[in-house]
Amino acid sequence: MEKLKRFSLPGFILVMAVLPHLLDSSWQEVAITFLVFSVVALSQDIILGKSGMFHMGQGLFFGMGAYATAILNNEFGWPILATIPVAILVPALIGILLAGPIVHLRGDYLLVVTIGFNIVFVQVLQNNLGGVTGGPNGIFGLDSLSLLGVELMSQLSVYYFAFAVLLLTFWVMRNLEGSKAGRALHYLREDQLAAESIGINTRVYKIFAFGLGAGLAGLAGTVFAVQYSAVSPEAFDFIQSVLFFSIVIVGGSSIPGVLLGVFVMFVVPEIFREFATWRYFIFGLAMIAAMILRPRGIVPATFGKIPKFLIKGGGHGA
Amino acid sequence: MARNELILTDVTKRFGGLTAVDALSLKVESGQIYGIIGPNGAGKTTVFNCITGIYKSEEGSVNWRGEEIRGMTPYQIVDRGIVRTFQTIRLFSQMSVAENIMSGRHIKSRQSWWHGIIHTPGSRRDELENWKKVEEQLDFFRLGEYAASPTGSLPYGIQRRVEMARAMAVDPTLLILDEPAAGLNDKETLVLLETIFKIRDKGVTVLLIEHDMDMVMEVTDYLTVINFGKQIAEGTPEQIQKDSAVIEAYLGSEDDDDE
Amino acid sequence: MDIFLQQLANGLTIGSMFALVALGYTMVYGVMKLINFAHGDMVAASAFVGLTIYTQVMGQATSLPAVIIIFLLSALAMACIGVILERIAYRPLRTAPRLSAVVSALGASLVIQNGIMLIWGPRMRIFPELVPQIYWDFGGVVISLIQVIILVLSLVLMVTLYLFVEKTRMGAAIRAASIDQDAARLMGINVNSIIALIFIIGSSLGAVGGLFIGLYYRGITFNMGWQYGLYAFIAAIIGGIGNIPGAMLGGMLLGLFNAFIAGYISSTWSDAFTFILLIVILIVRPTGILGERVAEKV
Repeated sequence: MEKLKRFSLPGFILVMAVLPHLLDSSWQEVAITFLVFSVVALSQDIILGKSGMFHMGQGLFFGMGAYATAILNNEFGWPILATIPVAILVPALIGILLAGPIVHLRGDYLLVVTIGFNIVFVQVLQNNLGGVTGGPNGIFGLDSLSLLGVELMSQLSVYYFAFAVLLLTFWVMRNLEGSKAGRALHYLREDQLAAESIGINTRVYKIFAFGLGAGLAGLAGTVFAVQYSAVSPEAFDFIQSVLFFSIVIVGGSSIPGVLLGVFVMFVVPEIFREFATWRYFIFGLAMIAAMILRPRGIVPATFGKIPKFLIKGGGHGA
Repeated sequence: MARNELILTDVTKRFGGLTAVDALSLKVESGQIYGIIGPNGAGKTTVFNCITGIYKSEEGSVNWRGEEIRGMTPYQIVDRGIVRTFQTIRLFSQMSVAENIMSGRHIKSRQSWWHGIIHTPGSRRDELENWKKVEEQLDFFRLGEYAASPTGSLPYGIQRRVEMARAMAVDPTLLILDEPAAGLNDKETLVLLETIFKIRDKGVTVLLIEHDMDMVMEVTDYLTVINFGKQIAEGTPEQIQKDSAVIEAYLGSEDDDDE
Repeated sequence: MDIFLQQLANGLTIGSMFALVALGYTMVYGVMKLINFAHGDMVAASAFVGLTIYTQVMGQATSLPAVIIIFLLSALAMACIGVILERIAYRPLRTAPRLSAVVSALGASLVIQNGIMLIWGPRMRIFPELVPQIYWDFGGVVISLIQVIILVLSLVLMVTLYLFVEKTRMGAAIRAASIDQDAARLMGINVNSIIALIFIIGSSLGAVGGLFIGLYYRGITFNMGWQYGLYAFIAAIIGGIGNIPGAMLGGMLLGLFNAFIAGYISSTWSDAFTFILLIVILIVRPTGILGERVAEKV
């Protein structure tokens, strides 16, 4: 079992690296969606799962990144890759600004306020504030990716772009786990008062989690905009945020759990297309069943990632 | 001269109409093991909460090494070398013993927020140094065999030790223990006594609340007795044992439950 | 001035519907500390159930007794669904982590919402005209019979509920369970029955709210529960969640606020303004207008 665990992530990466060559173009599209939504769900996990903040508005940051890319490309003619820093930084800064006044709110209040941010954002997009969001139809006709002057038109290149972003997300999350900041998030989730009493400025780290989660979601937004070469408000509706929220909790706030959640929520329905109208009914039942049977999620996050030299004999190891 | 001393002057904390701490003054000197005792509901834990920034007292002054710390947040107070444990044990229960102790290194770690995204050689070195410090605490508190165990599943006595180890990982100047012997058996209490002396020998001042009278008399250098939030006596254990007001307060309320 | 009075009347009507639905959220939250996300969808389901009772059971009769029966049957149906929902989706999770219960509630919401879609179809349906279209014109301010009925009936229900909770033994048990479930249990209160009772009351009031929404807006869709439910939940939070008079106050305030936004600014921004109001209130008073501050015991 331990061995399986150790090889599962490299194995997954290897499979995903060769996968598009085994798929036809419509399934490639599904695979890209899987990659993009995995990044969004993992970014949601930083705020919701790791830090324990009831945040149900990840669609806001995802959409903000997508729109940043779309507007800069469409209105101002920036190349797609040049929009990436903006698509990361704008959601991250907005996330930090929005989080500032609300992170002290208790669980459910935070949840409703973040839903609110998401809904206001979609309303802003629909009402075409500032005349740059394209209203209810959104923005379409974005350029394709280009690198060093070479246009990468193919779907394959979009796939590898999305894949690279997922790998980057894995890397950031691994770095987070092995750092002071990442542990601080876990501490404050488990017991905020104890965390403060041991010297952690919980407010700063909560805001940090929002900034980081928002930035990653924004980057996923860029990929999303490239994939469809269009953006429109309903893709970032708060119903989407509800799905990301549920994926993290049902998955158990671990990388395999979250990926499994994304797979079930977005890939499985493509396999059972004839049951499309039953999709959310069945998801609803599955969510209830999953929570009753595994209240901590399908693959619960595990702790105890400590340096080897600290583990000394005895049968007490985790 | 900044001596390691804590001076409370006329500290008053009210909850609605109830005065939990009433014009309390006390002075903890450097290197002391100082005890606060008193019957149930006397306001002992509230005093600790006022010192550690969980509550802000309405009146009075909390002075630490010449600096007013009343009104500071808990993490600012930790930064000044004051760390506490809780009567009810508040560990990060899903996380391992080593990770719990590592939380005490948070304030000493030199990593910046952005090291949570990108590591540098400096941040890796810092990470390793702090895990080494965790190892020291694991050894000191004889917790090595439990390093990777989730704390929530450990026996009560070990959880108490983990909480103390976590506090000691901060390298505190003043360690505040809220009923460290509560729930321990005689043997564990004995080990605790030894540990407290060893901590003092490291140059750490210890301030503790305790119900176990035998233990208090044995371990402390100096005592304050409070009842209904007010100081009714202070002195060395020998003086306190003879104090009539103290004897009366204790005979008045014999029960030995938690506050 | 005309706009003001007209929007005042409209706001009170919408507000009383919000308040009725908000009571269901706030009562459940009070005892279980759980946002019952499925509540809004039960409100929507009630409108569809009412529609079916009207066409299939009552033979499209619109006499007063027939309308009363439609209301009673819909409320009964929703009360049953509420109790079943609690039994299946919430009770097993009472001791689970908070977020698990939230996700279960979201799942229940999806099940009910999409259940409505599977039974009644995805398209908008028209709710029957159960109340005659009578309007009074007070010098430019038009008030309909429906508005009067909604307002009066809602007030009657809310006052009844308030008296029930404040003056009866069972009401005292509900209040006890919302303060401290364990202590209530030790005092001999059957907390399971209290929770069932809360779901019966909350769901019935929500059912009436759903029928009112049908009567007032006429068009009903399977996914309207999210919209109304969210507004009602915001109303409960504004008033102070867990607080029954707070839900009534919050509902009325939010209804009026929305009506005035629609009257003076634009209804295309109503969501945005509503949430800005919510955020401002939460920043100023983190536990709502009538909510109490709770200090954590250390």
